[in-house]
Amino acid sequence: MTAAPVQSTLALVGPPDSDLIRIRDLVYQVAGIFHPDTKLRLLLERCGRRMKELNTTSLREYFEHLTVKPTRQVELVALLNEITIGETCFFRSQPQLDALLQVVLPKIIEAKAKFPIRRLRIWSAGCSTGEEPYTLSMVIQEEAQRLLKDWSIEILATDLNERSLAHAKNAVYGTYSTRHLSQYYKQKYFTPVAEQLQVQPSVRNAVTFSRLNLSDDARMTFMKSMDLVFCCNVLIYFDLASKRRVIQHFYNNLLPHGYLFLGHSESLYSVNDDFNLVHLPGATAYVKRDRSLGGKLNL
Amino acid sequence: MTAPPIKPSLLSRLEDLHQIPTIPAVLAPLLRYLEQPAEQLDVQKITDMIAQDKSLAAQCLQMANSPLFGRWQKVDSLRGAIVGLGMQRISDIAMSCGVLNLAPKDADGIDPVAFWEHSLGCALVCRHFARNISYPDPGKAYLAGLLHDIGIIVNLCKLPAEFRAAFEIARDQGIPLHEAESSVLGFNHCHTGHFLANKWELSKDLCDVVSRHHSTYEDSEHAALIALVEIADLLCRMSGLNHGFIEKREVNLLDQPGFAALTAQCPTLKDFDWARLTFELDSYMDEVHSLVHAIYRK
Repeated sequence: MTAAPVQSTLALVGPPDSDLIRIRDLVYQVAGIFHPDTKLRLLLERCGRRMKELNTTSLREYFEHLTVKPTRQVELVALLNEITIGETCFFRSQPQLDALLQVVLPKIIEAKAKFPIRRLRIWSAGCSTGEEPYTLSMVIQEEAQRLLKDWSIEILATDLNERSLAHAKNAVYGTYSTRHLSQYYKQKYFTPVAEQLQVQPSVRNAVTFSRLNLSDDARMTFMKSMDLVFCCNVLIYFDLASKRRVIQHFYNNLLPHGYLFLGHSESLYSVNDDFNLVHLPGATAYVKRDRSLGGKLNL
Repeated sequence: MTAPPIKPSLLSRLEDLHQIPTIPAVLAPLLRYLEQPAEQLDVQKITDMIAQDKSLAAQCLQMANSPLFGRWQKVDSLRGAIVGLGMQRISDIAMSCGVLNLAPKDADGIDPVAFWEHSLGCALVCRHFARNISYPDPGKAYLAGLLHDIGIIVNLCKLPAEFRAAFEIARDQGIPLHEAESSVLGFNHCHTGHFLANKWELSKDLCDVVSRHHSTYEDSEHAALIALVEIADLLCRMSGLNHGFIEKREVNLLDQPGFAALTAQCPTLKDFDWARLTFELDSYMDEVHSLVHAIYRK
């Protein structure tokens, strides 16, 4: 496509293009990822990259690529890839981590206080190259002498992709992945390796990586007794039926007081009614609709 | 939280409200004028009413040019703004600018900007939410959201030290402001807002929103409007459009009393996409922040 039309729409000086809104709604309906008005420019840039590939000059035509043309499924995945590219980094969502520490963990600890075993199980489902579980490992370590004193923590990280898992286990990251890391965390938990940073063993050893296909019903049933499940920007690639099955597994895998965290601006609307959306300070999460089974904890 | 008895000395200070800033002179007649059926309204008359207050007119124009109010091409006259945005939208803007000028610039160490960001944010969320659930009067919902916390103005002006103590408790413990107010003062901004709403002669439904949005209101004939504000207020407080501090808690909107009250009037609420509304609300934050700073700091 030519640069000019995208540039002029990029400025968003007029009302948002109705075809861009249709693409926004399609992405939300299919993948559950919502682009609010302030992020429409970003969506437009991502569409622009795909349109260039396809030599398409208008959003209307591109919308047809996503909905009518025989290759629409492939194109949708290509657009979703553009949308999620670069999403993986350490401390991707600080509000989510703040909500975890300020509200969620205290509530889980309170719910489990009556049980003798002080153990938390956290699952990063679709961990990609490992930034998410390592971030969790670091913030958990920070709380080891405070909130989580005397608790044993298990962080399980799974992904389908062997190469991503190998990268995660190697734990060496460039500047893009580490762009949100504060000096404090860089100095305390990382070792410089050439131009990159490697996660220190204390953080690495707290995470167990394994290969898992979220569509593998048999293996999913083994991921029992989770307190927290993080599954960010993974479900977007599943069709509705598969998504429902995965979510049902998460439901079964979570303890009654457990929480499911999705990516920022990612929603389960119309996918599953067994989870309730809850609002935390600056973040949202999903909890089981019936949380009254606290006395039947299977630890 | 059990509220302590209201101290008589505080009550006597509240009885004398003459130091509270009054609603700008132009707004009361404008509000009354806009209560008429839309087909009877005259653009020129509204332009003339707002133009009486030059500073207000300038602020209205600034706000009218914000994407928050749906304006995508610059307007440089009040009349142009009214024609472009519609009379309802301009009255929303005039009210917003009017109330933003009310609070003291600094009240015993508390910067009131966050309260106005919260109020303007709540107004926008109320209007957006009202449209999404086919609530019959989104314009009223906007006003209700904008004005729901006017009791805070009274507290800032009349009880600054006590209010600051309450604010600090709320901020430090991460609890809702009205709970901290109740524990320190024996009442909260709904009670003081009630005084001010009466003084400003707000309509009965707005008075009910101001005075009852943190208490039981199922018996109110305006329960749906109060519920709408209660939910929008909560959503804003759990996001970056809060009172200037984070409430450390978990909220399930379906458990709120307002949810049942509102569902009775808007059945579509049962299948409402709360996640999407939350994401949409996120997009207001930067614009609300810069607008409030631009207008309030003048």
